[in-house]
Amino acid sequence: MLFELIRLELLKSFRSTAFAKSVMVAIFLGFLAIMLLGYLFMAGIFLNRILQEIAEGQDTIIVLNSGLIFFFLVEFMYRYFLQKLPVIELESLLHLPISKKKIIHMLLGRSFFSPLSIVALILFAPFALTEISTQYGMSGAISWLGTVVFISWTLHWFMLWFKQRFEDSLIGVIIVFIVLLLGGGSTYMGWFNLGEMVSPFFTFAMSSFIPMVIMLVLCLVGYYLAFSYYLNNAYLEDLAKEEEVRFINQSVGFFSRFGEAGELANLEWKLIIRHKKSRTFLMLSAFFLLYGTIFYDNPAYQSGPMQNIFIFVGIFITGIFTIQYGQLFLSWNSGYFDFFLSRKDGIKNLVKGKYLLLLSISLLCFLLSIPYVYFGWKFLLIHFATFLFNAGIMIHLIIYLAIWKPKPMDLSKGAMFNYEGVGAAQFLMIIPMMVAPYLIYLPFALIFNFYAGLAALGTIGVVGILFFNQLAAINVNRVLKNRHEISSSFRQEL
Amino acid sequence: MIKVTELKKQYKEAVVLDVTLLEIPKSECFGLVGNNGAGKTTLFRIMLDLVRASNGRVEIDGKDVSKSEEWKRTTGAYLDEHMLLSYLTADEYFQTLRKIYGLSEADLQLHLDMFTEFFNDEIVGKKKYIRDLSKGNLKKVGIAAALMGNPEVVLLDEPFENLDPSSQIRLKKLILQIKEASQVTFLLSSHDLNHVTEICDRIVLLEKGKIINDMRDKSAMLAELDAYFTG
Repeated sequence: MLFELIRLELLKSFRSTAFAKSVMVAIFLGFLAIMLLGYLFMAGIFLNRILQEIAEGQDTIIVLNSGLIFFFLVEFMYRYFLQKLPVIELESLLHLPISKKKIIHMLLGRSFFSPLSIVALILFAPFALTEISTQYGMSGAISWLGTVVFISWTLHWFMLWFKQRFEDSLIGVIIVFIVLLLGGGSTYMGWFNLGEMVSPFFTFAMSSFIPMVIMLVLCLVGYYLAFSYYLNNAYLEDLAKEEEVRFINQSVGFFSRFGEAGELANLEWKLIIRHKKSRTFLMLSAFFLLYGTIFYDNPAYQSGPMQNIFIFVGIFITGIFTIQYGQLFLSWNSGYFDFFLSRKDGIKNLVKGKYLLLLSISLLCFLLSIPYVYFGWKFLLIHFATFLFNAGIMIHLIIYLAIWKPKPMDLSKGAMFNYEGVGAAQFLMIIPMMVAPYLIYLPFALIFNFYAGLAALGTIGVVGILFFNQLAAINVNRVLKNRHEISSSFRQEL
Repeated sequence: MIKVTELKKQYKEAVVLDVTLLEIPKSECFGLVGNNGAGKTTLFRIMLDLVRASNGRVEIDGKDVSKSEEWKRTTGAYLDEHMLLSYLTADEYFQTLRKIYGLSEADLQLHLDMFTEFFNDEIVGKKKYIRDLSKGNLKKVGIAAALMGNPEVVLLDEPFENLDPSSQIRLKKLILQIKEASQVTFLLSSHDLNHVTEICDRIVLLEKGKIINDMRDKSAMLAELDAYFTG
């Protein structure tokens, strides 16, 4: 039966109308994963030497043990952003004599096959097998490595529960923020040293199997928690209660100046705040407004070649919503795409309305990022230049890429089991986004200076804005040309 | 066979279903009628444990549906097209169910043979995914699937909706025929009063989640229902 379920899942992805796109994304993600795991493996092999460099003259094992907790805090963060939630078409299986438990076991088991599951193993196995085994013997190495790996796996199960439970709520963001503070705050600000507090546990793990057993039990408990949570929610209803109709009359008055396109921008805004998935994206852009604090205050980036990274940070801060929301451009409307097709100028206004909305939010992000002036006027300039570039060039580029074989997405189904959450695929679009601004910026920055690069970015952005209608027309026409194909793929898979 | 006690479904303040007691004996053909929003589909969904009840319980064969899953083996249902695996062809879907129910190829063939007329050559052997079928053909696939594996209870939501007139008549014949041959308990909901009064032994009228009439007298049913709906 398990095999049958897996076969069905495979068939489903093969026969999806967006199969070509999914394959491209999968190949690309797979390639990235292999590359990153390769780097991690190298880092793992040289971990001892790296640690020797960082902490000269100290015992690397002690250094590593007191640093491990920070690795897990970072793991918590990247899992929060990259780990996908398992999805399945529950409705088509629930009425059949397949036990719910089997379905949930299959789902959870499948989620475990992810590159994220072997990160800790790859990074720390070489160190355990060389350094720890020479001092504490093979059993010490295994027990230590086991402890580390089981913590990582416990996080995996915990995250499945955590993301499903809290992704849409402020509490989730606050918890993630607290984790960030715990990691950064404790040591930098000198309140307390988290690393020192936790290191005895890992030291103990080298001489005893008890910590490994504790973590194994925790890992199993984590699995059981996730399992029972998913099992208890395997119903067609939404997770909690029926969603209240909130945010009534939340129109943005300013959009109405733009005629029918403005009206559709208003509709889109309602769509965003009334659906869990889109709300998460909005929350994420608020979160990424803080992204600058990592870089702008860091002396390592202040001058020299490293300061070029600011361009990326600026693009990200002012454009993260455009990047993430925009890459699912038409998918948001897949449930009622025919509504626009059947209206005069419907498609044109839909696309224009989306432009309007994305530009407004981008502008809002720029305005909200003004307080970065605190770190220097330079940053305001960076944000202004990148905002212009986002508004003039990037937005067209993202939409152009996004309307290639859009994938249907059902927003109105309950969130559990058909909600992947934010995962690695949502960050893929960032790669072309990283390249484009540097194509403009780097030549000027290298030949002249940093500011010349910024000026070039800004100028190109302004030119883009001046030719906005012409550039937008390219995308509008592209949607119009493919409208039958898009509409039929949307109709098929809902 | 089926027993519903103190069943209540409530979204916030709004009570959408409130059934104190409903017992459906074995081999009864039970019809459920009522206006839009009366709670027919909700009742079926709770019976199939697809939606949680706020209060009370449903038992099939003496077992609480939310506590065990054994009843799924002997209960067939088709409520809407989301219950189908839309990315399979109809043939593949039947094959998948065959494996799930543990039937042999011959069993399946025997089962599908019953539907030859009903399918009208548009389902079996067609290279078409279920998601590309018309509404009527979706319904035919769903009904044939619900009747697979010799179920003891079959729930069908609006089985006549979207079917062409001759298919409606064929379906009616099919249900009567199965009823005759085996002891299947049928639960149907329908807006088509003529069909439902013709095949059902008993009809329950729902209004705003409550049972307001429980009719067993076949001769008076149609008149009574007509009186209610023309109001």
